[in-house]
Amino acid sequence: MVSASDFPILSRTVNGKRLVYLDNAATTQKPQVVIDAMNRYYTNSNANVHRAVHTLAGEATDGYEACRTSLKSWFNADRLVLTSGTTEAINLVAHGWGRANLKQGDAIVLTEMEHHSDIVPWQMLSKERGVELRYVPVLEDMTLDMEAFEASLPGAKLVCVVHTSNVLGVRNPVERIIEQAHASGARVLLDAAQGAPHTRIDVTDMDVDFLAVSAHKMLGPTGIGCLTVKEDAFAEMAPFMGGGDMIDQVTVEGSTYQENEHKFEAGTPRIAEAIGWKAAMDYLEQVDLEVEHHRLLNIARWTAEALRGLGCTVYGRHDDLDSAVVSFLHPSLHAEDMAHLLDAQGFAVRTGHHCAQPLLHRLGISSTVRASFYLYNTMEEAEGLVEALGHVLERFGGSA
Amino acid sequence: MISEALQEVIEELADIEDRMERFEFIFDLAEEVLDLPVEAWTDENRVKGCQSQAHLEIRLDNGVVHLRGGADARLVQGLMGLLALGMHGQPLDVAQAMTVDHIKEAGVLNSLTPSRSNGVRTMFDMITSVLEAMNHGE
Repeated sequence: MVSASDFPILSRTVNGKRLVYLDNAATTQKPQVVIDAMNRYYTNSNANVHRAVHTLAGEATDGYEACRTSLKSWFNADRLVLTSGTTEAINLVAHGWGRANLKQGDAIVLTEMEHHSDIVPWQMLSKERGVELRYVPVLEDMTLDMEAFEASLPGAKLVCVVHTSNVLGVRNPVERIIEQAHASGARVLLDAAQGAPHTRIDVTDMDVDFLAVSAHKMLGPTGIGCLTVKEDAFAEMAPFMGGGDMIDQVTVEGSTYQENEHKFEAGTPRIAEAIGWKAAMDYLEQVDLEVEHHRLLNIARWTAEALRGLGCTVYGRHDDLDSAVVSFLHPSLHAEDMAHLLDAQGFAVRTGHHCAQPLLHRLGISSTVRASFYLYNTMEEAEGLVEALGHVLERFGGSA
Repeated sequence: MISEALQEVIEELADIEDRMERFEFIFDLAEEVLDLPVEAWTDENRVKGCQSQAHLEIRLDNGVVHLRGGADARLVQGLMGLLALGMHGQPLDVAQAMTVDHIKEAGVLNSLTPSRSNGVRTMFDMITSVLEAMNHGE
């Protein structure tokens, strides 16, 4: 069981009230062990990785590579490239795999549920290469139109789909998507920025070609993430960033590249962040994510119901595999006003389009307020949120 | 020298300690800005970088500033009201005496960085750049 006391930031006050942090789908807070690991690295072991032979470089390299080893084991991955986050991981697929394997007339299947990070790189590639983009619609019940998905597959070379929606918390039927995409000859990229923090994903068992993840949404530091790649897909990739660390030999005539994941990690990597992420993974290893998932989902379900009771519209369904995200609106108060007024009472929630404008467009809205729960959140905090929102609506609801 | 009306409001705000009361006060300031009806909302008068829908019309008529504004968020409309108190119906020099610090003094926003979602700074920059351009006859 996770204790809020492991997270020093959670003991602070905001606007004179105890902080209740409910913006976990944007980023999670860091346990002391993560902060300590990064501090220790900078205090004792700071050095560049992979090249030098001195002791500090060895310690830094061991720390950096230990992160990769830990993540490869966690995700059961063939290959794991450390990136700056999910966005860079997706861009790595677009540039490293897409450019090498897609040509005019090929198609990529996306969904209306995607985060902008899983739309914009493909739009850029489409413009550059004349690749067709096909969007799977979202249905009234906020799930993907699987019939339309099937119909979109012929001629598709790649399917890019969000594992779990950052707006709705809806967990997509990714197993079925992967099976059908593979049967049709398409590779699959899963954006697991929201899914990975809430459930253990085994990429080999799932048979997914590419999986993109961010550390900061699962207790790790910002600025680091990863892309897992299936071995045969890895062989089809070409580096897209050139520089130090990714090369084998460089002459004035040309260069050869490393064979392993370093080929895609040009330049000095995020060493402290990797060490911090490893500490976060060690922390998560102690947590029963399945138990926590059910606990948090119950909190989300209770919150959704209570918000409906206050007259809010809740966007999401909170099925068994969905994550603990509650997006909502109230007819009498704009989302941004609501978020400011909740902040005044110590509640950190997110407002806006959540970088998923096509989804919000489909829902016919321009923004929501989003409360997203993670390991350190409690039912008492959810009750506090609902109570605070009740006060806000009582005092300000009529004036909008 | 800023307008008297703005000065008065800043002094009143300074006396309000409770954050929720400050919000209430700013929300009420929404009445102070002439309404720019939704039909007049164009891409040209849209406050870019604002997460909520916000539109501002700025005119300079015989050296006097005229503002109309509309926003779907009450807080943004209230901040437009604050801008209107400092600028609407005022000679250019008085309007230009208002700075973004006067909005900060309202004390309802945690930061006014350019990337902040409410785009208040963008709103302010939009007005000042339009006024400067108009003043130079552009």
